[in-house]
Amino acid sequence: MTLAANSGTSSSSSKAQRAPSPKPRRSASTSTLGISLATLASLIALWFLAAHFEWASPLFLPSPVEVLSQFSAVWADGYANGTLLDHTLASLGRIAAALGVGIFLGIPLGLLMGLNRWVKGIFSVPIDLYWGLPPLAYLPLLIIWLGIGETSKIVLLSLSTFAPICFAAQAGVRSVPIERINAALSLGASRLQLFTSIILPSALPEIMTGLKIAIGAGLSTLVAAELIAAQSGLGYMIMSAANFLATDVVFVGLIVIAVLAFAFTSGMRWLEHRLIPWKGKL
Amino acid sequence: MLRIRDASVTFPATDGQDVHALDHVSLDIAPDSIVVAVGASGCGKSTLLNAIAGFLPLSEGTITLDGKEIVAPGGDRGVVFQKDTLLPWANVLDNVALGLKYRGVPRGERHEQSRRLLELVGLADFAEKPPYELSGGMRQRVGIARALATDPKILLMDEPFGALDSLTRETMQQLLASVWAKTSKQILFITHSIEEALTLGTTVVVMSPRPGRIVARFDADFVREFAESGDIGPIQSHPRFIELRQEIRSLIHLPEGARTGTLQ
Repeated sequence: MTLAANSGTSSSSSKAQRAPSPKPRRSASTSTLGISLATLASLIALWFLAAHFEWASPLFLPSPVEVLSQFSAVWADGYANGTLLDHTLASLGRIAAALGVGIFLGIPLGLLMGLNRWVKGIFSVPIDLYWGLPPLAYLPLLIIWLGIGETSKIVLLSLSTFAPICFAAQAGVRSVPIERINAALSLGASRLQLFTSIILPSALPEIMTGLKIAIGAGLSTLVAAELIAAQSGLGYMIMSAANFLATDVVFVGLIVIAVLAFAFTSGMRWLEHRLIPWKGKL
Repeated sequence: MLRIRDASVTFPATDGQDVHALDHVSLDIAPDSIVVAVGASGCGKSTLLNAIAGFLPLSEGTITLDGKEIVAPGGDRGVVFQKDTLLPWANVLDNVALGLKYRGVPRGERHEQSRRLLELVGLADFAEKPPYELSGGMRQRVGIARALATDPKILLMDEPFGALDSLTRETMQQLLASVWAKTSKQILFITHSIEEALTLGTTVVVMSPRPGRIVARFDADFVREFAESGDIGPIQSHPRFIELRQEIRSLIHLPEGARTGTLQ
């Protein structure tokens, strides 16, 4: 990648605004895309075959056709007090709220921890302590304190998204090269200007990485929490279906979660492209 | 006028033996001159520059710029670093304009000034490019333009061409000489190359390590005519260049301890 970027630099005929390396990299990414699509197709084909020849009992492995028809049934008529859309929106709402809390508390606090010894000293211990705990271990406590409603779940999720975002913002501040800070100071930057024009943008790549980790952590905590204590959401739908051995509905839930996770990952990748196209360069 | 008086910088070392990176150095840099500090690594030349820039506090002594004591980094001293420190998220033009932005110069005005500087360093066509699409030499030219943008009283250059290949390096030396001839800024230039020192410096100071000291100072005023003529190429065959190169080389390669008592 570095090689490609360099060769693009030396022949800097002003063709396109930003065209250092797209050629070799794009061909590389399309070739993986083809392979990935083929793998996906083979997996689905294998599933068809396995269901068709009943390698496993339909109770354990429903056929793709069955899952598809169940999908439209759950979509239209619903399952476990809600349509598929209801459950999906319930889950998405929780994770969105948790990400919001994580971002609006985690980024400022993390930045402060990176900048100030006292803030870091005070907050790192409690955050380190709870971050080491599996979220489901303290969910019962949260339920005792906050009740079985939405609050306990959103607090649980917020705790699991907050820590990675906070750590990342802190690491981002610490990763700013000292030469970059010195350069800004010798150009006459004030403390505020130093923060907004140098430290914050320099920390952005780390913060984005933290956000990706937070989404992953949030998603797994979300489903687990819904499996245990909820009246709506994809996790709840899966658990209810499993109680009635409705394996096809379980599959529907799993596929929706997989698609959501994939959408989050792609969305973050897109956001990174837009916000920090310079990541890893210079 | 930059005035350095008895400047010392001492770093506490883990083994208790303090490191005297800079030991009672005194030096004046007159306006309209390029002072080049040359010496082996560890001779304190970068420490000296960092102290003048305000990145490093002095343990002893004073540095004043036009009578004002230096205590912190500031816009009156432009710094060009060895490693380029351009901001990857801003294009070349905005990088050059950064110091003006800090001063609150309106956008249109600071862009206009920055374009003029990019012309001066020969990069007018690259204003809209992100810095990572430029070669190493081009990035250093942007760095020079950026340092000049705030119109500092002195330009501090810390081995700015050290990481470049020798051909690019020659081009950059030529460029710096012509920029200097046009702007007549006072410059402190750090290098470990004797040839570079004699090509650029109107004054060359030789430094030696452990402790970091100035052991000799040479006036090399013949450099001016080459810089003003716009071609520094033939300077290497100037008799004074050859003479001084020999002298400085023998000073730098002198065995340690034999240096005491050399001319000041």
